Amino acid sequence: MTPGAISWGIIAFLVLMAVFHPVACAVIIIIFDFYWIIRTAYLTTLLVMAHHRLARERNDDWQEKCVGLLPKKDWSKLYHLIIFPVYKEGLDVLRPSLKALLDCSYPKERLIVVMAFEERNPKSQEIAFALEKEFKKPFFGYISTFHPDGIPGESRTKGANATWAAKRSKEFVNAKGIKDENVIISCFDADTCVEKDYFGCLTYHFLIQKNPHQASYQPMPVYNNNIWYAPSLARLVEISSSFSQLIESMRLEKFVTFSSHSMSFKTLVDIGYWPVDMISDDSVIYWKAFLFYKGHYRVVPLYITVSMDVAYSSTFFKTISVQYKQKRRWAWGVENFPFVVMGFLNDNKIPIFTKVRRSFHLLEAHVTWAVWAIILALIGPLPVLFGGALFNQMAIGYNLPKITGLLLNFTLITSLIWIILSRTILPPRPKDVSWRKNFVMTLEWFIVPFIIIILGSTPAIDAQTRMMLGKYMEFNPTEKGKNVLR
Amino acid sequence: MHSEQRIRAGLFYLSIFIFFAGLPFILSFSLGYKFDPRTFKFTKTGLIFIKTQPMGASVYMNRKLLNDKTPLTIRELLPGSYYLSVELEKYFPWRGEVHVEAGKVTRLERIILFPLLSDVMHLNKEKISSFWVDEKKGKIYYINEAEKLVYISNLEGDNFEEIGTIPSAIQGEKKYTLSPDREKMLCFGPSHMAVLYLKKEERGNSFILEYSGPKIINAFWYSDNYHIILVTDKDIEVREAAKYSLPVILVKLNKENTQSYYDENRDTIYFIDSQKASDNRSYDNVYKLELGSKFFQFQDLIKRKSIEKTEQN
Repeated sequence: MTPGAISWGIIAFLVLMAVFHPVACAVIIIIFDFYWIIRTAYLTTLLVMAHHRLARERNDDWQEKCVGLLPKKDWSKLYHLIIFPVYKEGLDVLRPSLKALLDCSYPKERLIVVMAFEERNPKSQEIAFALEKEFKKPFFGYISTFHPDGIPGESRTKGANATWAAKRSKEFVNAKGIKDENVIISCFDADTCVEKDYFGCLTYHFLIQKNPHQASYQPMPVYNNNIWYAPSLARLVEISSSFSQLIESMRLEKFVTFSSHSMSFKTLVDIGYWPVDMISDDSVIYWKAFLFYKGHYRVVPLYITVSMDVAYSSTFFKTISVQYKQKRRWAWGVENFPFVVMGFLNDNKIPIFTKVRRSFHLLEAHVTWAVWAIILALIGPLPVLFGGALFNQMAIGYNLPKITGLLLNFTLITSLIWIILSRTILPPRPKDVSWRKNFVMTLEWFIVPFIIIILGSTPAIDAQTRMMLGKYMEFNPTEKGKNVLR
Repeated sequence: MHSEQRIRAGLFYLSIFIFFAGLPFILSFSLGYKFDPRTFKFTKTGLIFIKTQPMGASVYMNRKLLNDKTPLTIRELLPGSYYLSVELEKYFPWRGEVHVEAGKVTRLERIILFPLLSDVMHLNKEKISSFWVDEKKGKIYYINEAEKLVYISNLEGDNFEEIGTIPSAIQGEKKYTLSPDREKMLCFGPSHMAVLYLKKEERGNSFILEYSGPKIINAFWYSDNYHIILVTDKDIEVREAAKYSLPVILVKLNKENTQSYYDENRDTIYFIDSQKASDNRSYDNVYKLELGSKFFQFQDLIKRKSIEKTEQN
């Protein structure tokens, strides 16, 4: 209940202040505006740093680096277990993901692919059969699992499916005489296409860690699979998500796993796999490991990209709806907060400072997400509206819109940096896309303020309100692939 | 990695420093305070916002020229009165004393700088005695009473040309009204009327109406450009704009009409008249007569009357 109550409390407090004490409200808004300008500058600098690192490491020969670690660290004994939890995704989505694995430079005899289907999808068997026929041979192992519906204690979540698949994989791996600690598991969204050096990069970082089992490995998600075809709104939102992840990769003390990522299989088994009743399995797995290792668990950023699909639909409003639901599902990660706090309360080994700091970070991130756009876009003008003639005669009444305008101008400057950086992470333009699209993809950044109003805070406040009222969300995977463009 | 994190930590602390160091200045600026670096004290000030029409005027405050042009904001003013002069070349200056209160903004947003006389344009190219402006068509009509001439030009005075002659038989006080299509002009006095054709090729058709009716107070063109609504001291009547035409009396008036208005778009006349009430006293009222829908009735009447007159002749 806490994050939702705090977010609503902040919004209600500021609205009431705007009505009854516009001067005090204006002061708070100006402080917030100033804070936001500095925060934006700081985060944009981090983005530039992360982007620079991504560009720098792009051409590294990771396998060569792994070989260089011999004989101390032997990469060749490691296996990669790659799980793709699948629900309704069809062959058009799954084929490119498996094709990307095939195109990897990493030896295929060290890769075990697990296509984790849901038994409740009637097309699962058919798809599984088609994929097996096409992709099974080159890999060390290729398994199709079918997660039964309605297992007691489970919700219909991706985590439940992934856990079922991981348990079946353990049976396979152990049957082959491979120890859990020699397996690195990657749990990928169904549309995830890895770069050809991904497993080399992952192996290298795993090997050089002091405690490799006490870390998750987070690649940088980009949404390049269909980015040239996606509508502006969806493209901008997903580019912003990629940038947000790049920024987070620089803030190691706050960095939490997100979407497709990798970790030690031994750790996954030790901590009891993914939760089978939570939606935000990608981040909660980090917190499970964090609690299990008494705070000695971290996320190692991998400056290599994994590419996914931009979620969009056939019309503008349907695209807004798809994006809104996806962001709301991400915002549902707020369910981590009570999980983490309860974990901290039941623990007596993690330092209290760490507990307070991590709880605060988690809470602050979700509350800020839920209120920032509302404060800037909706509450900002309220003191002028409610203040009346007296307020508008005052210096602060005169200066408030000027300072808000300054914030907007500053945001435009940072947008310029974002535009430039966004161009550098784009894949080459497909031949069937006109060169004019380059202009569209530059000019579309001017609709960012409009997107902020719709998709900035509302999905987060929606998710928090649902949680506060006990209206728990069901896992609704974002529909991707050609079949959504109906 | 370590160096990146060190840079990040440095940036983080720098951001915190900028926030806390800048916040007092941002807030004091917002609330209208001025920081005095000599005394290290904040003094509450006020500000003046000046906006002029047209923009770009110079502002003198207590006779000292300010750097910025209008619109501008003069900040950090200690409370008190200031003498302001707003000046722009070729415009009359604006001057005034402005009182500034601490923490408040004095808004001077309605300053209009009026152009100097050098901007006055001479429009008529011939001698004239009166004029009127046709806003709808963007024309100016000029009358030269002495030489009985009518001129026209556009609103800039260009294309000035003679468009008609007032018949010399029309003497005394005159009024003019244009037909809705702007092709004819009615010139009328208390006991006479003349229709002037304004199109070059039709000017010879101008004529004086044979009129022997009551005293004409006002006259209007009906929307068909052919009928004339007359307001006399006895009645309101309609006539054809023809040399010989007979009136149809629409309303008999109880008193001499002093005020009337004709709505060209709706063919409706508004007029004043008196009416006896139950207390036997007369009261003035405003009436409205819609001619648009009823016109066909009096059109027939006019025709019938004209036929009767011809037969009598």
